[in-house]
Amino acid sequence: MPKLTRLGELERAVMDHLWAAGESLTVRQVHEAISAERDLAYTTVMTVLQRLARKNLVSQIRDDRAHQYVPVHGPDELIAGLMVDALDQAAGSVDRQAALVHFVERVGADEAEALRRALAELEVKDRSLRSDSSAGGAPSD
Amino acid sequence: MSALAFALVALALVGPVPALLARASWPMRAPRAAIVLWQSIAAAAVLSAFSAGLAIASRLFVPGPDGRPTATITSEIAALSWPLWLVYVSVLAVTLLIGARLVSAVVQVAIATRRRRAHHRMVVDLLGDCRHGMNGLRVLHVAEPLAYCLPGVRSRVVLSEGTLSALSDTELMAILSHERAHLRARHDLVLEAFIAVHTAFPRFVRSGSALAAVRMLVEMLADDAAVRTAGPGPLARALVACASGRTPSGALAAGGPTTVIRVRRLAGRPNSVWLSLAAYGAAATVVVAPTVAVALPWLTELHRLFAT
Repeated sequence: MPKLTRLGELERAVMDHLWAAGESLTVRQVHEAISAERDLAYTTVMTVLQRLARKNLVSQIRDDRAHQYVPVHGPDELIAGLMVDALDQAAGSVDRQAALVHFVERVGADEAEALRRALAELEVKDRSLRSDSSAGGAPSD
Repeated sequence: MSALAFALVALALVGPVPALLARASWPMRAPRAAIVLWQSIAAAAVLSAFSAGLAIASRLFVPGPDGRPTATITSEIAALSWPLWLVYVSVLAVTLLIGARLVSAVVQVAIATRRRRAHHRMVVDLLGDCRHGMNGLRVLHVAEPLAYCLPGVRSRVVLSEGTLSALSDTELMAILSHERAHLRARHDLVLEAFIAVHTAFPRFVRSGSALAAVRMLVEMLADDAAVRTAGPGPLARALVACASGRTPSGALAAGGPTTVIRVRRLAGRPNSVWLSLAAYGAAATVVVAPTVAVALPWLTELHRLFAT
């Protein structure tokens, strides 16, 4: 049974449980479900849920008896948000473009063809230059 | 005529000089020095523009009837006549306005960048898996080949399952050393400064070409780091694999020719020390020459005016 050392892993475990539940849960319900797998204090679960609420990942529903927690976004929605944030730079305003630094930008079909040609030229040259030394990985294409 | 000299220097540095440099191909063989040259051109342009404004505005301290510089508005108007006084005051106001605009753009870009980055990092930390025991690496469950980094104090390198499954170990090593070079050298701060200038003066200045050129040079600098650890072949294959992956709907293909240029560069001639030295020399000249040639005489003149 792995011990949860990082707060981030704990948040992930709590979110996974809330996503799986598909309905709003109280701190006690989350604690019961998670402590079945791992040794965790009730107050720790409460702190994690409050942190997640501050990050706007879960919302708190004030009930008569206990606070209920429900995820604001589903996991697919969050991933989609990341993808848009990461890939949709051209549509975003210029002042947001230093937030992420990409390894490489996506190219269209025309450029993809030019890219493959440039790569083929490099590989021919690479082979002729380094025929005696050990090359990195086998050319994939 | 120091104001005119400053204005001419500023105009050259925002117009023809960046246009020529953006079209040149030698910066690809000396990316680090070329970035320094771009920075010094931008800094010198901003400083010359300010100096031009302030040099004109300093004529408000025109010598009065007693030979001493005028210090009150009424004596200035008496010595200069109304229209000239108005011109000088407007120039001063415009200069200060431009300064304020630049400062506010820097602050605005810094805040927007950090806010967006913090939110992205929060979600990446929640959804991404830690792999390879590498600190700061997160892997997203996405089939598209993704590779990017979130710079900053709590930096992250983000890859996707698609990248891990499509690339060999050497190719991954190339990506990781590329991203680590970005994070270590804080290339994002270089970009942020050019983005701020571009946001402040989008149309006047050729800051668009400066921003695009610096963005490409920063990538080439990180490419050089990746070539040193993994070699040009694996880096080129990783670039092509990540660039030509299917673009998800809603996202635009923004790479265009720079990606092709980067791959071709890997097969081209190596970096040149001589070009670097020349570019560093040019960078120093761009900053020092206007200072010595124009600013010093102007300051001496101003000093003499007040000393008498």
